Amino acid sequence: MAKHWKTLLNGIIKENPVLVLALGTCPTLAVTTMAFNGLGMGLAATLVLIGTNTMISLLKNVIPSKVRIPAYITIIAGMVTIVMLLVQGFLPDLNKQLGIFLPLIVVNCIILARAEMFASKNTVLASAFDGLGMGLGFTLALVLMGSIRELIGSGTIFGLTVTKDVIDPMIIFILAPGGFFVFGILIAITNKVLAKRGKTRPETGCAMCPSREFCKNAGQGDCSEANFQ
Amino acid sequence: MKLMSILFSAILVNNFVLSKFMGICPFLGVSKNVKSAAGMSVAVTFVMVMASAVTWPVYTFLLEPNGLNYLSTIAFILVIASLVQLVETALKKYIPSLYEALGIYLPLITTNCAVLGVTLLNIESSYTFLETLVNALGAGLGFLLAMVLFAGVRSRVERCNTPACFKGLPITLIAASIVSLSFFGFSGVVEGLFH
Amino acid sequence: MNTILITVAIIAGIGLFFAIVLTIASKLMAVPTDPNVEKVRELLPGANCGACGFAGCDDYAKAVCAGKAQANACVPGGGDVAAGIAGILGVEAGEVTPQAAFLACQGTPAVTGKKYDYQGMTTCAACNQLFYGQKECAYACIGLGDCVKACPYGALSLVGGIAHVDEALCTGCGACTKACPKGLLSVQPKGTPHQVCCSNRDKGAFTRKVCRVGCLGCMKCVKTCPAGAIAVKDNLAHIDPEKCTGCGECVAACPVHAIV
Repeated sequence: MAKHWKTLLNGIIKENPVLVLALGTCPTLAVTTMAFNGLGMGLAATLVLIGTNTMISLLKNVIPSKVRIPAYITIIAGMVTIVMLLVQGFLPDLNKQLGIFLPLIVVNCIILARAEMFASKNTVLASAFDGLGMGLGFTLALVLMGSIRELIGSGTIFGLTVTKDVIDPMIIFILAPGGFFVFGILIAITNKVLAKRGKTRPETGCAMCPSREFCKNAGQGDCSEANFQ
Repeated sequence: MKLMSILFSAILVNNFVLSKFMGICPFLGVSKNVKSAAGMSVAVTFVMVMASAVTWPVYTFLLEPNGLNYLSTIAFILVIASLVQLVETALKKYIPSLYEALGIYLPLITTNCAVLGVTLLNIESSYTFLETLVNALGAGLGFLLAMVLFAGVRSRVERCNTPACFKGLPITLIAASIVSLSFFGFSGVVEGLFH
Repeated sequence: MNTILITVAIIAGIGLFFAIVLTIASKLMAVPTDPNVEKVRELLPGANCGACGFAGCDDYAKAVCAGKAQANACVPGGGDVAAGIAGILGVEAGEVTPQAAFLACQGTPAVTGKKYDYQGMTTCAACNQLFYGQKECAYACIGLGDCVKACPYGALSLVGGIAHVDEALCTGCGACTKACPKGLLSVQPKGTPHQVCCSNRDKGAFTRKVCRVGCLGCMKCVKTCPAGAIAVKDNLAHIDPEKCTGCGECVAACPVHAIV
């Protein structure tokens, strides 16, 4: 049990998928205009992660390694459709807010990366816990970003008025530039904290990249010119 | 006129990268120099148009009549993945020079959310076949514009003295924030021109 | 029940359709590739440094398999790679002399002062545009690491404010020689006995003012060398590696310790 607890905490804090590993940037930037949207998106992704990690871990000996990426994507797409139908049915408002980004969980790097890095090598229970940890880490980061943007951009948090009447909200923070800006600052703060504790950002590079399989120069770090020439 | 409006709003106002936040991964990953940014974006544009051309009939003639709208995600990702593979094989055989230039970027595109995003958005906006193609082309060109502009900005940013904790991703994101701010200047322009 | 069947049938149908198309396509459109190219490419270091004269390792692998290049053109790979390529292609390998980059400057901040405090873009190229760099000596290593960024093998680092070549890691590809705006780096055979570690071409009196270890062109080494291997040109000593016997007399004779 202690081991699973560690896997869980690892996902939430030490290897936080958004802030430390810098994965899944698209939904992080797009849906965090409000803290509540961040929470919804995070929990939806958590559900998908737990489901796919469990499924892939169960099927890891059945899927031939040559076609594993397409197989994983199909499993993920199926899981996303289930979650999508659940959200549509029970939380129609959230569905409207998240819009296109709900089905786009399919191509979220975090999910494929965890399937490839963790679930295909570990036991079912450990994979489920990893999914839960990573999902909660994702949720935490999204809620954090959503709260900051909502507080500055509309003066509320989770819809409750905080500074709205005192300070004029800066609408730019809930628009696209604000997303990039807040995310940049959050990553910089994480860098500072990591540096203070004498740690560097773990080199995710190609190991986490879903396209690693096909990339000509996989394993050489970032996707700069050298890797594509 | 509606086609022009769709095209320009997809390129400028509703720019996929800078205002819809799709395809951020390649936007941050492959924008280190203008040449690879342009190569990647041309490949994305190509796949976007191809994928839209195939997914539209799949949805309209196969899924919708059977009331299987919810299957669009699975069906589309299957179609896109196979299509990319097919295009790659065909290019290698028939147009090797184009393959040399774009081939390396093609597999990266399967998991690019901008491509899946544009096919899903086409369906959501209930465009006709022609409008679908134009929207996909616009989205691709918008991606190209954002990538190439940002690659230029980034080559300057990378050479600057930034505080240690801002080096790398953070300063890139802040630069992206300013570029995306500049695209706000286009809002209203397209409506003013075509309506 | 019917709904489930239709759903499964459609997804399976799409999957099957594309699987068949892809299989046919991969059979019909298979491009015959030379298996040797792949093997040669795997042998090469993959740094795309261009020391072979081709645009990257892929290009060289193709050229060598087509018989357009020598098997020993890859300097970074050295003898092992040359022998490997020769083995694959069944040709004579030829010799590859191991080479390494050499920085002709010892101008650390301790020996040469600063003209101004530079705070612009951290590249040597930009700094060089501004009064030939921040160091008092116009020929000195600027020390902002353009060569470090250019090195595909991580053999260069900044030690004490100037570039430092780690000979063990350096493969002699020459990427750094192109990056240095001062042209201070050159590729030389490993184990060259003595070299003039300075590039200053100013008159001795002026050199003396800006750097403590700059070559003054005083001719002392020329007179000392028993093999006659040293000549002074443009106020800077040059050692002819062909004639140098490695006796070390010049090192002892140099008043500013510019010969190493």
